[in-house]
Amino acid sequence: MLDKDKIKQAIFSLCSVMSVSGFEKRATPYIESTFKDNFDSISCDAVGNHLLVKKCGKENAPKVIIDAHMDEVGMIVTGITDDGFLRIAPMGGLDVSIMQAADVIIYGKEELRGVIASTPPHLKKDDKLPAPDELLVDTGLNGKAVKELVDIGTPVGFAPVYGELLNGRLIGKSFDDKACAAIGICAVASTPPEVLAADVYVLLSATEETNRLGGVSAAVFATDPDYAMVIDVNLARVPDTKDFETVEMDKGISISHSAATHRGLTLATEELCREKDIPYTPVAAPSSTGTNAATVNLVGLGVPVVDVGLPLACMHTYNEVISMTDICSLASLVREFISSDKLADKMARREDIII
Amino acid sequence: MNSVQLIERLCAAFGPSGREEAVAQLIKEQIKDICHSVHTDRMGNLIAVMKFGDVNAKSRKRIMISAHMDEVGFMINEIKSNGYLGFDTVGGISESVLAGRRVTVLGKDATLSGLIASKAIHHKEKKDRSKTTPIDKLYIDIGALDGDEAKEHVSIGDFATFDSPFYTFGDGMVKGKALDDRMGCAAMIEIIRRLKENPAEGNTDVCFCFTVREEIGLSGAKAAAYRIRPNMAIVLETTAIADIADVPASRRVADVGGGAVISVMDRSTIYDKALVSMALDIAKERSVKAQVKRYVSGGNDAGTIHKTAEGVKTLAISVPTRYLHSPACVASINDYYAVRDLCEGIIRASASKEEI
Repeated sequence: MLDKDKIKQAIFSLCSVMSVSGFEKRATPYIESTFKDNFDSISCDAVGNHLLVKKCGKENAPKVIIDAHMDEVGMIVTGITDDGFLRIAPMGGLDVSIMQAADVIIYGKEELRGVIASTPPHLKKDDKLPAPDELLVDTGLNGKAVKELVDIGTPVGFAPVYGELLNGRLIGKSFDDKACAAIGICAVASTPPEVLAADVYVLLSATEETNRLGGVSAAVFATDPDYAMVIDVNLARVPDTKDFETVEMDKGISISHSAATHRGLTLATEELCREKDIPYTPVAAPSSTGTNAATVNLVGLGVPVVDVGLPLACMHTYNEVISMTDICSLASLVREFISSDKLADKMARREDIII
Repeated sequence: MNSVQLIERLCAAFGPSGREEAVAQLIKEQIKDICHSVHTDRMGNLIAVMKFGDVNAKSRKRIMISAHMDEVGFMINEIKSNGYLGFDTVGGISESVLAGRRVTVLGKDATLSGLIASKAIHHKEKKDRSKTTPIDKLYIDIGALDGDEAKEHVSIGDFATFDSPFYTFGDGMVKGKALDDRMGCAAMIEIIRRLKENPAEGNTDVCFCFTVREEIGLSGAKAAAYRIRPNMAIVLETTAIADIADVPASRRVADVGGGAVISVMDRSTIYDKALVSMALDIAKERSVKAQVKRYVSGGNDAGTIHKTAEGVKTLAISVPTRYLHSPACVASINDYYAVRDLCEGIIRASASKEEI
């Protein structure tokens, strides 16, 4: 059985670990110590991709990847002023309109708290948004003290504070995409090996937010899977957005139809959802999914991949919103996906030597 | 409970202008047994009186000390059919610190967590990505699935405040919502405790007024000052400063770490010259750090107090505070101590004088 509360705690806990793009390795000790009992092996490659492997115990079993990216949007220190303020640049597509007055943590030689500076209405001439390079982080320290603890290139993340709204909506930072990562890990960890239809590689991939979706390819190449599922967040429908580019919350997960993913696997995944009563919404992502799926698809000899989305509102802010109902749908699907002998049979690689 | 813990507790209380009851209750618990009287007036001001010297003396002096309990916040003005809440600000809040923030909504039966949301950056047009999101494009999400569910919890006219954790950081700094003016309230509570332990000299009533509705136009203090008709008044406040990188010295107003800010003039008051001089002298005598406010900006309860009845000699002493009216106000705890200690010194000096 999937334990809802356990999944929720796993999400809050993994999302609290700072892993701004390029700094995913900071999460290695946490991942190893937290999940080592549930997997056969845990490793981290040169790019920062973490791979959690759970074998099914069958000989010549096919290999399936469940990918969720581990990096989060954040900031990096670009300068330190003499009076102790930090200049920063965004890492990934941050929404600059939510940055002033945000609580941040500076991951220097020590973890320091900071606040992004804002101008009070009493001293303000207009409500112009500062450019990202005009933003300052107040460390509450003088320049000398800051320079001893912080270097140019130090990552800065939003302070993690998690909460709940009505109807099991969770709010907090970095659900994109560590909520999916935690869901994937919980689903795989709670599935007994004898139920698995394939050897499962949970891939917590690096640098999705900054490297044009490139970090994942190294780990997929090394793993050489038979098929893969990419789970990432999808933009939830909110006021003033178009229906075709959003997905409703509480209606289950989204499954992308795209020229960049594998049609057979996509249709088979939808069939699996229908068989197992897992709610889903098909969405059209014509030439690219905007996720790792398009990259995974083109690694090595090509990897059949399905792109699955968890609806999320307020993306790339420190208060993203997701629904417990959708979380359970995603966890169920991952579980069925890795346990389906039918899918494993269909996707297992045949000898396809052409030349 | 030390000073920081006291400030933290006061900041955590829910108290936008017009809904200060929870703050008043918290303050009352702290002081009710150590003052001669503690009353709530018909406006909601909490007035605590300490009497010193001969209570039957023919001529007694009256000193009013004032800090406001209210904080800037929000009011729900629309419950949309999709379950989201429309809102407006209560008091002056810059639109640039609204989007993405967590809020607490005081609903029908309980407080609710909410989030000031808008569409994601991915859906914004390029020209809008470098702009502040205007308040009419923002809404509060409490997680309600539709308008009917939202109405079960919230009504038009309900209040909300920022929900922002309090913490200490850096070199003796505090960060939180509502430092304006819960630091003033905390200073008054601590001064009351000290005056209880070590009473002032002279035939004097010291009236501590924890006022309401400062943020919407100084309205609570008007009634309080009229009731008390003091010989002099001291307003304990926070003042908005901009002592941050990239701001020229001429526009920084005052400095964090520079001590208590003594106002000479702001947008609502020209302060009593003799009181300003006395404050600076007492700061020197007692080795309390003080600085004069260097920019004409802002305003506080002094604006209404000094115009009460025949007029009241008024002084404002403030904790210099960065990012005022945002969910993340920042101040130095040493500056808070300076405001508290200076005010105590002025009360003692004034109380013992023949005439003020």
